[in-house]
Amino acid sequence: MSQNFPALIIVVPLLSAFIISAAGWLNKKLCFPIAVMALGMSLYSAVGLMGMVLESGVIEYHLGGWTPPWGIAYNVDHLNGLVLIVIFLVALLNLIANKRTVEEEFPEKTGAFYTLYILFVTGLSGMVITGDAFNLYVLLEITSLTGYALIGIGKDRGALSSLNYLLMGTIGASLYLLGIGYLYLATGSLNMADLASILPKLYESKMVLFAYAFCLTGLFVKMAFFPLHAWLPNAYSYAPSMSSSLIAPLTTKVMIYVMIRITLSVFTPQFSFDTLNISGPIVWMAVIAIVTGSLLALSQKSLKKILAYVVVAEVGYMVGGFWLGNRAGMTGAILHIVNDAMMTLCIFLAAGTILYKTKGDSFDYLKGLFKKMPFSMAAFVIGAMSIIGVPPTCGFFSKWYLISGGIAAGHYGFVAALLFSSLVNVVLFFRIIEICYYEPFTDHHHHEKEETSFDEAPAGMVIPLLMAAVLLIVLGIYSGDIVTHIIEFAIPGEIT
Amino acid sequence: MFRRTAEKPAAQLCEKLKVEFTFHFQLFTVEDYIDLQGGKRLKTVGLLIVLVCGGLLIYGTSDFPGWGDPSSPASNYLSPRYIEKTMEETSVPNIVTAVLADYRGYDTMFETAVVFSAAIACFFLLRVFKSDEADETRYYRHIPSGVTLRIEKGGRLPKGSAEFERIDTSWVPHDLIIKATTRLIIPFIQIFALYVIAHGHHSPGGGFQGGVILGAAVILFAVTRDLRTTIQRMGEKICALFCAAGVFLYAGTGFLCLLLGKNYLDYSALAGILGVDPVTARSHGILVVEIGVGLSVMAAIIWIYYNLSSAGKHDEGL
Repeated sequence: MSQNFPALIIVVPLLSAFIISAAGWLNKKLCFPIAVMALGMSLYSAVGLMGMVLESGVIEYHLGGWTPPWGIAYNVDHLNGLVLIVIFLVALLNLIANKRTVEEEFPEKTGAFYTLYILFVTGLSGMVITGDAFNLYVLLEITSLTGYALIGIGKDRGALSSLNYLLMGTIGASLYLLGIGYLYLATGSLNMADLASILPKLYESKMVLFAYAFCLTGLFVKMAFFPLHAWLPNAYSYAPSMSSSLIAPLTTKVMIYVMIRITLSVFTPQFSFDTLNISGPIVWMAVIAIVTGSLLALSQKSLKKILAYVVVAEVGYMVGGFWLGNRAGMTGAILHIVNDAMMTLCIFLAAGTILYKTKGDSFDYLKGLFKKMPFSMAAFVIGAMSIIGVPPTCGFFSKWYLISGGIAAGHYGFVAALLFSSLVNVVLFFRIIEICYYEPFTDHHHHEKEETSFDEAPAGMVIPLLMAAVLLIVLGIYSGDIVTHIIEFAIPGEIT
Repeated sequence: MFRRTAEKPAAQLCEKLKVEFTFHFQLFTVEDYIDLQGGKRLKTVGLLIVLVCGGLLIYGTSDFPGWGDPSSPASNYLSPRYIEKTMEETSVPNIVTAVLADYRGYDTMFETAVVFSAAIACFFLLRVFKSDEADETRYYRHIPSGVTLRIEKGGRLPKGSAEFERIDTSWVPHDLIIKATTRLIIPFIQIFALYVIAHGHHSPGGGFQGGVILGAAVILFAVTRDLRTTIQRMGEKICALFCAAGVFLYAGTGFLCLLLGKNYLDYSALAGILGVDPVTARSHGILVVEIGVGLSVMAAIIWIYYNLSSAGKHDEGL
């Protein structure tokens, strides 16, 4: 069985999605257990795969038994093995945490929700595991389509912000597809490893240059890299909580993974960093992304909007860190993919739990929350600490690598932006924490309540949330191991 | 109470279609969108950007291989093997089908899953489950006299009366010609669709095309009768189950190959079950997944039509 892990990791959730969709019409109670089993199985396979990669190096799997470049191949190495684990862990925790909210919110459409949820996760993990540039696009389509649906069901302006996302996302995906088309025109191949071996002869070709420009721009749109981020804040804040706490941690991070994959494994670092010499401008764009993202977050008046802009700033961290082009920066970027996924999950889950109880997320609703929901707020504080970058939470360590990468590259603008953003995050989160801690709870009609009573969300929501929070500290403690055993091997040796 | 006659049915149908279409498009045009986002200056800026990007794109084409150039990389690298070996490796005469459903069958499986996702997404976003049925104005035709009745909110017809038939608000005349014609045509459309699915190996065709034709047959029925009759014949649940079953057949076939000891979607593993040699098994495997695709696409098209045409109410529609 273990030699089939690369296929099982994708196929099990895919098949389960169809079974869940049928179960939604026949027996709704089965949907949730099947979804949990599917994601659990995939998580198990992902961990198993990672173990195999650590033991014996890159694993290749030929779908349909055809050798690449004629058929489609999966390549699992240190980089995507790590990202796969993160994807399934985040998806599984969020799924369990939101069981109750999903059943309350979509009583008649639970089956459809879980189907879309599992398909979304399948799409993301397929994009990560694949070694075929076109297969990646097909899975991007699945991810986007299900993502639009998961966001569009949101109340108020959910549908409008989803439409906005749909228009931007479609443009981004089309640009990526166009880039792949150009690559096919220039080489006749779609397999990533094969492309990497053909392309060096063609580095002078304008087709290859345009292919790279198209791919990169498309991915920048999809990952909401400033100034192409406009779709993200509304989409993430108007989406229902159970969707936003799945989509916010994963989508942008997976798109950054794809950027890294395309840059390192299809176009070699030599082409991306030396021949083109575009890393300088991109890092400066990342600096602007970090600064504006943080400032915009500061100007928001509701919890989810703040978090959405924090995501925009975090994208700048990873893009900038990667494009510094040195080992420390890339280590920081890859480690931050893991850490940021976990801390975004923690903080969005906490926001979802708070919203579930308070029914509103403007600052007025947050007063007195520490007394009312101590556990959720504890998790929120840990998540906030991690985003600010306080040791021993994991956020500190990836930021450390990013900053040392910036210093090694002599790019002090990036270092300053990181420090500035951390300071803004301090202001941002302590403002929220202050409101939650010091200001007494008042209800809608401004009648002072005598005593804020303990009113925590159900255990089914709080326990996964606390697990996510504890994971942030565990990841922080083990981040040295992750770097030396996994990320060291994920970065090509020629990068110093 | 008033009477509507069936004058110029075709013209009225066209008019109705036009009304419906303009309505849908005017819901949200690109211009509205731009206005919404901040004024007309954007249009000028947008035009400039488009011109610059267009110029760059044209500049980028200068390195392209010539049109239909036989020595271009695209026709030299992978294609020769597909062209020369398809027959001996998969025993499928149609190379396009072999590349689509075998060499790159994994992509096609996900393309089918995209269709499935679209159908599920439409259902998820649009479907409204209504509990109270009598909260809208409805129209009925008294069959013996041909009189149209309008029943206001909360009104009810005498229970168990077989003399009335529900008709759509917008327009439902007696349309004997249309009904009779479609009754004749639909079976042939369906048979042709089955042919397209089954014959994908040898001629242009396959699951996607055949599935769309099958779906179109049902939609034609819905357009010429009404949505309620169609849903009575082919319910939403059936659509949903077929839609899932089709892709499941595709992905499940792949999984079966995996269980039989080969790689995922390696149809040659099916040789033992089908009682043929491994190469012919690939051809049969393709047929099985094409049937899955056809089933899924048909159900998805119909299901999407149900939800879109009635705005999720499954009551009255185009």
